[in-house]
Amino acid sequence: MTMTKAGLLAATAMMLAAPASAQFAPSRPVEFVVASGAGGGTDNFARTIQSVLTRDGIMDNPIVVLNKGGGSGAEAFLYARQNEGDPHKLIFGTNNVYLLPHVAKLAYTTEDLQPVAALALDEFLVWVKADSPYQTVMDLVNAAKDAPGTIPFGGSQSKDTDETLVALIEQTTGADFKYVPFNGGGEVGVQLAGGHVAANVNNPNENVGQWQAGAIRPLCVFAPERMAESEPVSGDMGWHDIPTCAEQGLDITSYQMPRTVWLPAGTDPEVLAYYQDALQKVSESQDWKDYLAKTSQSATFMTGEELAAFIDASEADAVKVFEAEGWTVQ
Amino acid sequence: MGNFDLLMQGFGIAITPMHLMLMVAGVLMGLVVGVLPGLGAPNGVSLLIPLTFTLDPTSAIILLSSMYWGALFGGSTTSILFNIPGEPSSVATTFDGYPMARSGESTRALTLAFMSAGFGALLGVIVITLLAGWASRFALRFGAPEYFAVYFLAFAAFIGMGSAAPAKTLVSLATGLLLASVGMDSVTGSIRLTFGFEDLLSGISFLVVVIGLFGIGELLSTVQEGLRFRGVASRIDLRDVFRTIAELPRYWATYIRSGLIGIWMGITPGGPTAASFMSYGIARSSSRKGAPFGTGRPEGIVAPETADHSAGSCAMLPMLALGVPSSATAAVMMGGLMIWGLTPGPMLFATQPDFVWGLIASMYVSNLIGVVLVLATVPMFAALLRIPFTIIGPMIVAICFVGAYTVSNATFDLWLVLIFGLVGYLFSRLDYPLAPLVLAMVLGHKAENAFHQSMVLSDGSLGIFFANPLVSGIMAVGIALLVLPKLIALGSRFRRRVPVE
Amino acid sequence: MTVKVFHAELGTAVTTGLLGLAGMIGASELGHGWTESGPQPGYFPFYVGLILIGASLWNLVAAFLKHRAAHRHAASGGEVEEPFLDRERARRLGVFIAALLAFVVATLTLGIYAGSILYIAWSAWRQGGYRLPLALGVGVAFAVSLYLIFEVIFKIPLLKGPIEPLLGIY
Repeated sequence: MTMTKAGLLAATAMMLAAPASAQFAPSRPVEFVVASGAGGGTDNFARTIQSVLTRDGIMDNPIVVLNKGGGSGAEAFLYARQNEGDPHKLIFGTNNVYLLPHVAKLAYTTEDLQPVAALALDEFLVWVKADSPYQTVMDLVNAAKDAPGTIPFGGSQSKDTDETLVALIEQTTGADFKYVPFNGGGEVGVQLAGGHVAANVNNPNENVGQWQAGAIRPLCVFAPERMAESEPVSGDMGWHDIPTCAEQGLDITSYQMPRTVWLPAGTDPEVLAYYQDALQKVSESQDWKDYLAKTSQSATFMTGEELAAFIDASEADAVKVFEAEGWTVQ
Repeated sequence: MGNFDLLMQGFGIAITPMHLMLMVAGVLMGLVVGVLPGLGAPNGVSLLIPLTFTLDPTSAIILLSSMYWGALFGGSTTSILFNIPGEPSSVATTFDGYPMARSGESTRALTLAFMSAGFGALLGVIVITLLAGWASRFALRFGAPEYFAVYFLAFAAFIGMGSAAPAKTLVSLATGLLLASVGMDSVTGSIRLTFGFEDLLSGISFLVVVIGLFGIGELLSTVQEGLRFRGVASRIDLRDVFRTIAELPRYWATYIRSGLIGIWMGITPGGPTAASFMSYGIARSSSRKGAPFGTGRPEGIVAPETADHSAGSCAMLPMLALGVPSSATAAVMMGGLMIWGLTPGPMLFATQPDFVWGLIASMYVSNLIGVVLVLATVPMFAALLRIPFTIIGPMIVAICFVGAYTVSNATFDLWLVLIFGLVGYLFSRLDYPLAPLVLAMVLGHKAENAFHQSMVLSDGSLGIFFANPLVSGIMAVGIALLVLPKLIALGSRFRRRVPVE
Repeated sequence: MTVKVFHAELGTAVTTGLLGLAGMIGASELGHGWTESGPQPGYFPFYVGLILIGASLWNLVAAFLKHRAAHRHAASGGEVEEPFLDRERARRLGVFIAALLAFVVATLTLGIYAGSILYIAWSAWRQGGYRLPLALGVGVAFAVSLYLIFEVIFKIPLLKGPIEPLLGIY
């Protein structure tokens, strides 16, 4: 419901702004508020955009990057609420912007932010150790059914996208894993390579190093179709050779994490249009395509109604999982 | 000797005029961010990342890592001169460095710190050079219980031998643990102890607390004695520098011990801060003669500095070889690596030898540059102490608050600095030890997370901490460190009593 | 007025005890039990709070005992208990803390630059005995170097107040 409203707002903003997009230009340094610590995936996302904007001369104003990763990113979103109507602050996040308020008692709602654009989709894969007995994702699921609550499944945090996905697998198949939250995808990758957990659901770039070395291997990807063709990564296997989870009989066709950019609520429609335009130029640049290829993320560019619809659907799916797990807070 | 050939090839890549210039620039910028409290190496490095997009990855990592070394060196400077740790990992250096500087030997203290730092870094790089493959395999064996054991060991090494009243140590430790648990708990995903304050959501920053406790707290102690620095203005004499260098071989045992602790904590992600505390604690408990620690003992500077830098250099290894950064700065550099299109992981050594060995070779060179540059600044920094207090005192105050603000751009932190300044003053006047509080803030939450993860893995059984030789070994050493000093103290009291009676 | 060590010990012990209590109350809202998957989120803060209260009580008792012993010692003609702060020190400390407080308030309302100029100039002028123009000069020089290091070189925005936008600095 909140999203339909924000979506409508964005849509009207688009219509109003289309003819008048040159009206707004930032008059002071623009703050890029990053909802993760320095070095995290969201941080790299924001800093890459910063470099493209500056190097290609899309935006002449100086850009300063502020990391506000406290409370799983909530710090950045609270900051947006405190700066309502400020056209010189862009907030960079993932789906945590609209999912966090469902699982934690926080002093902001999604209506305090206005979606600008989504520029990338990060894929999720199921990974196991190279010498593990599981050949398909269903082997893993069946093992968890045979011995409920004993197979340790690593993830980067509690009640985050990783645990949501694991919970979704459990709800879809009736399996029961033992979810162990660590700190960040990199750490989970190493825990898997060291054999301390049986599987994880890392994004491609969090695990690619260990895959190259042959310490771990992917079972399947949660996408409607296989990932884009690539050079072979490990042995003669490339990203495109990884089957989708649906192919292997796990009925979750799509689970992706969008990389999103937001404005504080209450800015003028021209402001929104200005940044949408600038980000569109970023998404068309060669540097951006290189970044996506290097980090194995899927390209997308969503704004306005399309973005609102995506957020609505993604939020509704996640909330269904949260409710079944009893994570939702009022 | 394959590694040696590769290293020579690396030197060929690292020693070019362009790279040497980048190293000097990086070290100098690092010194600035290191000296300013709050603005630490992670911030500095992440600010440089956009600049590196136009460089090739090898040049970029040389620039960033040089900045890291510079920041590590710079962090010790303010610890020693003003009791304000410029970097979290230089907190332990304040314990003896500041008393030594206050007794008029600031040149000696700074020289000791920098030479030890340089030596630690060298030791770290040598280990990386020789043991790259083995060390990364060793680090893979560390799961949650092993992590907890390491943190437990760090606590045990530091607490076991404290000289303050036990109840006061306990208060300090418990306060630190409580402060560390404020904010979002990543293992359970719940928000703790914020009492509805939004400002507390992201937790209480360790750096802000340290700036208040040490920086402002120390200024308050200075002020109550009159508006001037305690201690004599130091003589600035290059001969002091050389005399100090000449006394270094005397501390060989401390060097080796601290270097090993640092290497270990760098490879198995404990991080430089934990390493410096642990090394200080162990140096203290293994010293038998001379003035007590905390009064300006040279070993009290050598131990944390050596460990800090060997851990800092060794932290590059798990970052490159496993993709696990064991320090905040390494985490930022890893982000850079990914942006440059390099994938950290075991294959990096095989697929990008020029990058890896160029970096390793540059670590030798840039640490050398770092020691020279930072020694050259000793007279300048020591001269700062001669500026009248009514000028420099308020400037230090302002820098403390600016530093605290830059940690997370939050005005709330300014109040925290003020409050913890008062706490620091009160605690040091009443003989509450500050170190347990700081250590608890650094490691408390990590230890709790590791404990919790272990409990999830073992379904709540404590047996997991003794489930394999590695984890039981570390736990046993920790328990021994905690218990032995008390037993020895008891034993010696007993032995002394017998002949008297 | 002088503050005795006894009073300071008492105040500190009570404060740390209250902190422990706050921790326990905050933790008990989260649940502090032990489930089959290990401790609940409030488990550690709860018991740490309990330990903190215990240690604070111990310190409180120790302070009382020491105070009584000192009294007896003083009555039998020994030295009087050492003061925590005598009048002169308390005054010096009071002025410094008041200035600190004023600095924080000035920083929050006027920004870090104006705040530190005022604070440094005031200290050099009133406490150091320098002439006002010189004192102001030192303050301004400090603020300018802050600006150069943070905003120009490292691109880190510091807290600004209502004055900077008038000068065209954001």
